[in-house]
Formats: sequence, structure tokens, C-alpha cells
Amino acid sequence: MIAAVAVREVAERTVALVACLRAVAPRVRVEDAGLFVCDLAGLEGSPLTHGRRLVTATARAGCSASAGIAPTAFVARILALRTLPPAVRVVDDGVAFLAPLPLATLPLEGRLVDDLRLLGLRRIHEFVALPRGAVLDRFGRAAAHVHALAAGEEPLAEGWDAPPRPIRARRAFEHVVPDAERLVFLLRALADEVAAALDADGLAALRLRLTLAREGAAGMLGSDGSTAALEREPGPLSLVRTILPPSRDAGALLRSLRWALEERPGLGGVSGAVLEVAAVEPARGRQIGLFAPDGARREEALAVARHLRARLGAGTVLRARVANADARLPERAAAWDEVVS
Amino acid sequence: MGAAALAEAIARIEGRFGVRAVARASDAERHRALRRFATGTSFDRVTGGGITAGEALALAGEGGKLTLALRAVAGAQRDGGMVLWVDRAASFDPLAAARAAIDLERLVVVRARSGEVALLAAAAALRGEGYRLVVVDTGPSFGAHLAADECAPLVPIVRGSPASLVVVAEERPRAMPAYVVERVAWERRFGRTVGWTFAVARPGSPERALFHAGALGGILVDLGPSSARAAGASTASSTGSSPAHAAVSVTNADRPVELAS
Repeated sequence: MIAAVAVREVAERTVALVACLRAVAPRVRVEDAGLFVCDLAGLEGSPLTHGRRLVTATARAGCSASAGIAPTAFVARILALRTLPPAVRVVDDGVAFLAPLPLATLPLEGRLVDDLRLLGLRRIHEFVALPRGAVLDRFGRAAAHVHALAAGEEPLAEGWDAPPRPIRARRAFEHVVPDAERLVFLLRALADEVAAALDADGLAALRLRLTLAREGAAGMLGSDGSTAALEREPGPLSLVRTILPPSRDAGALLRSLRWALEERPGLGGVSGAVLEVAAVEPARGRQIGLFAPDGARREEALAVARHLRARLGAGTVLRARVANADARLPERAAAWDEVVS
Repeated sequence: MGAAALAEAIARIEGRFGVRAVARASDAERHRALRRFATGTSFDRVTGGGITAGEALALAGEGGKLTLALRAVAGAQRDGGMVLWVDRAASFDPLAAARAAIDLERLVVVRARSGEVALLAAAAALRGEGYRLVVVDTGPSFGAHLAADECAPLVPIVRGSPASLVVVAEERPRAMPAYVVERVAWERRFGRTVGWTFAVARPGSPERALFHAGALGGILVDLGPSSARAAGASTASSTGSSPAHAAVSVTNADRPVELAS
């Protein structure tokens, strides 16, 4: 079984939380901001007991958390996000749990969800009922990947489309970078470069590979200081991230890299980095209003809202609407909806 | 320095700090103009053309600052931008926002239960690239609120952000430029207060923007920019305000203010 732990009100404490969770389950992955996945395989005791111990561990770190335990990481993650802290829920049949949930629960691109709604699909079980091949042909590999996840499978990352030309950015750092925070700052340049290349080719990144050269590792940098050796021989630390939904936005790529770095307890001194796009999707066109230069940023804004909703819980990230402008009582004049349900 | 050396220096800076770290002055000036949005009021004269991305400012003082902040939100949305409003005291009024021509669909309100949550939400929005403006309403000092100086950690974050930060507070923060809102005249009818005139200015600057706010309906009327002068040019006889505040001259009044003591 896999446990997902969703931590609320966590502020820049990812590294400490990973250490707390590792004391309970040795294999911990940072899925998202405030969202951790722990592999319970091989641990003695019932999954519920482990879930409670994980929640207690986060409470000791000063954070409130909920935990979801399911056969797959994907189901566990959704279960944890839909559980109020400090509860722990266990689901044996992940597909049955997901079936009645709305389609927006899945990590699909907003426009794709709109397209599916136009086709009359509103619940996850209706999406899962589609043939996988048809989903792949019509909506692309990322949608097929999500389709497999929703069907309770852990899809293999095989047969994904590599970019037609290598999309890669590399840097050798003048000084050894000792911590993740500074490394993330330096990786922005690489993310910008990769995003520009994706943009030029009309692609979106589905998988990223970050290779870090660390000081003291043999054969990392060439004698001239170049990172050519990195290309021939991967460094001692290679991180792979799947970006769902696929994106060519530098900010989204950098966020995913940040989480990958934060799940490592110690990076050591990093002297160089290579960021490579391992799998791509054709970028879906975005309608940008002629008079709305910022319209394209709406998706990014909603991604931040989703992130805040996951961290802060329900009733916090809201959108207002005027329900009755003539109402005498203010509470009847306006209504509040969750931005991300 | 030769062109080759300059190119090499630029390449080194970009290699280390990112492709947008260096720009020609002419480009930077053009980008600066693009990164600025106007509120469409005489407040733009006071700020020097509008609110600029990557900068923080505070609206501090007495009544009128929230109404002005709503105008700023409408200005940020004019080009299609998204706005995040961090509401510490759960006092955001959607009706007032709608009256200020704000598109509520493009406004995300975060009800912050604590100061830490308020800072977390604002920092997340400023670190991302989705928002044009982040407003932090610290709340009234008599209720659950955030001290204006507690917003200081947001200042270094906003510097690298495509968004602007507006902090609405009763007291003036020290960490960011503040525009002080002061009531300069009350409007009374039949012994009841039905509105007031307020001025917005940088402390120490003679340039002011004057507004009239109606107590009923929350309608804001832009009275235009003014310069603070000595007594003698006053258009308003004030009740409940100091004589120095009453000494204002309206240079571009859209509508005469009806004042009665």
C-alpha cells in the first residue's frame, strides 16, 4: 500500500517534514507542495497504524496533516487531499473510490476538461470507460497517462515521445552550490532556456531529467571547465520528474524541480547541472485575447490557487459572486465559491 | 571595455542569474512602461504613472484606502490580469468590488486565518507568474489583523515578480513606500455624515490626489490632483479635520463637493 500525506499550513518546512516522515517510512517522495508519498511496502503493522504514525510525525513538526492510504500513489494522493486533518482514510479499491468524483479532480489540462465536458463526460468513471487508445489518439499521451492512473494502474514511462531534437540546458557553476535554495535560484536560468526551446518548437514538457554534478564526483567536469563530460556520463545524482499537465512554462518546470530537490535530505556541493526534456507533448494552443496580454497567465494563477487550496484546506481560497445586489443582508447579497473544488 | 568583453560579461551574468537578468536601458524603460498599470484616477499622478510590477506600496491611514485599492484591482484587470486579494479580517465586500468595476471571476480571495497564512498566500502568488497584482488587506487594528511591518518579508519577493504588491493598513509600514490616506473634509446632510473627502499623498510630497467617498453606496469620485498650500485657497470648510487638512485646492474637480457643517 502507498500512503500520501497532505500537510496544511506548511511554510518552507519541506526538508524537516521529509525527515519526520522518513522516521516512519524510509521511502518518501515529495509529490507537490505539502504533499508527500510514502511507500508502506515491507513495513510491519496495519496500513491504518502507519497512517496514524505519519500524521503524528507531522504534528510533532508543528503541522496539521491528513493521510490517505490506497493501492496506488495517485489514489492515495487524491484521498489525502479530500480528507480533513488529522484523519486517516484507507481505501482498498482505488477505482471505486475515484469513480464518482468530478473530472476536475484529475491532473488534466483545464481546456481538456472543458472538451471532455462538452462531450458529456463529468465523472471520472465516464472518462475511465473510454478506450485507452482513443484517449491517446484524441488527447495525447499525457491524457492517456492520467487515464491509466484513474484506472488504478501505475503506468510505465515507456514509449513516451522524446523531443525531435534534444532540448537541454547546462551550466557549470563558478562556485560550489551548497544548498537547494540557491540551486533553485540558479536553475531558473536553465528552466528559462528549456522553456524558450519548447516554446520555439511548439512543445510542452512531460518529463524532465535533472542531472547534478557534485563536487568530488569523478569525471564530472572537463578539464576546461565545460560540462561536456556530464553529457557522456550522467552525474551521480539524476532526478526525473513527470509534469502533469505538460507545460512549457519556466515557472511550472522550476516548481517541479524545487520539489524534487527538497525531497533529498542532502545534496552535497553541486558544481554543475544539466536540465533535459526527456518526453514531450505537442503544446495545446492557448487562446490569448488580443487585448488581454495577461490572459495566458490565468492557468498559472489557477495553479497557484490550487497549490494554496491544497496547503490551506477548504474555505480559504475563494471566488466571490454577487448573488442578489438588492438584498438587505450582506450575507445574502454575495455568495462564495471555492476556486478549485 | 570592448564589445567582445561586454558580450562576455553579459553572458556570464545571464549564465549565473538568468536570461532576464540584464537588459539595455532603452529596453528596460520600455519594459517598465509595459509592466505598469494605471488605476485611471488622479492617484496615478501621485505614483508617477501607475503601479509598477515588481514594486510594493502601502496605502495607509484613514477611510478610503480600501476603495482606492479596489480601483487598483480594476486597473490591474483592465488588461486581462488576475488579482489575488489576501483578506486577513474576512471583510472583503463583493458588492463594493462589483461597483468598482472589478471582474470577480478574475479575483481570487484568500481568507487568511493567521498572519502566517496571509504571508504564505501572498508569497506564493508573487513567486508565481500568474498574478498582476497582490493586495494584502491587513484588517482593522481592533480585530484580527496583521501588522503592516509584518509584510516586510514580501518586499524582496516582489522585486523579482511580475506582480505588484499593495498593502492596505492603518499604520504606515517602514519597509515599503507608503501613500497616506487622510480625511480632509466631512460631508454632512441634516446632521448626518454622508461622505467625506480624502487626500492621498506620499509623506513630505506636495502632490496629492483628492477623492470623495460616499458613505452610502461606496461611490468614489475622483476630484483630481491638488497641491497642499497654505490656508487661503481652501474650497472646503471641514468639520472633524484639522485646519491644515482643510487647506487644499482642487485643480481638476469632476464634481463639486457639497459640504455643510
